[in-house]
Amino acid sequence: MSAPADARGAARTGGGYSRPARKDHRSNFELYSWFFMRISGLFLLFAAVYHLVWWNLIVGVEHLSADLVRERWTNPFWRLFNVGLAVFAMLHGLNGLRYSIEDYVRGPGWRVAVKTFFYTIILAALAWGVFALLTFDPTIPARPA
Amino acid sequence: MASAPNVRGLYTALRYRGRTGMWTWMLHRATGLGILAFLVIHVADTAAVIYWPEFYDNTLDLYRSPFFRVAELLIFFSVLYHALNGLRIIVQDFWPMVMRHQRTLAYAAAGLTGLLMLPVAWLMLAPLFGLAEEPGTERHRLRMDRSRENISTFQGPAATQPAAVPPITGGAR
Repeated sequence: MSAPADARGAARTGGGYSRPARKDHRSNFELYSWFFMRISGLFLLFAAVYHLVWWNLIVGVEHLSADLVRERWTNPFWRLFNVGLAVFAMLHGLNGLRYSIEDYVRGPGWRVAVKTFFYTIILAALAWGVFALLTFDPTIPARPA
Repeated sequence: MASAPNVRGLYTALRYRGRTGMWTWMLHRATGLGILAFLVIHVADTAAVIYWPEFYDNTLDLYRSPFFRVAELLIFFSVLYHALNGLRIIVQDFWPMVMRHQRTLAYAAAGLTGLLMLPVAWLMLAPLFGLAEEPGTERHRLRMDRSRENISTFQGPAATQPAAVPPITGGAR
């Protein structure tokens, strides 16, 4: 679909274009998306870097095990922290992927198909991860004793 | 809505002589998509600890292979660069005056990432070559000692009531 002639708004003195008049839709979605990327980004700046430092540099990948993860998850704070980390990271990534798809996939039909494909995978992984964290019960041993 | 798409190949894209802004943008996007790809796998397999801890332990064997150890370092780099460059973008958005120094700030984000990656690369790669101990070896040893003292490994608090299960008659178990 080609853009209407006035899609860019009026030319400004000194270069650039003023904000175009909204005609096709009235939605602040892109504004909220822009804002969400910055808020979640600031959260992830600390949470994701902490997560990497803790598991890679303090615990060590060699020492990881399901038992160790389960021990960590007995504390509700760390379960909640992981829910927050997963939700913010996945939605931040999902929105970033949306920017990329809209940049590279130009056909409207293809766009829907590619978005559906990736959104399904990402949201399924997120739902499974959050489900696991919220339903985790430390009193139920993973293996029969 | 974009104007008429003018799609060219990767070669044209790489030949385009953009300066720092183009390179930081490309690196920001590439690291972001790379993190997302890993994140989906990572969340899905870590969640398996609730039902299938053996499966999780098996995937860890994969993560411990030399190829994945290098990939993990790449993920560490990606997160660190994406974080610091993202911070630069946020500062520039909310404080437009610093746009005058955007090139300096772009170099600062990349430089700080590189600087921080030096000790991180040592900590994560040196154990592969036997040059240093795996991070957390002392913690791990203490934990193993503790679990040996407690005889069994961690199982969580004891269940309050044993479930009423009828005895299994016959069969190998």
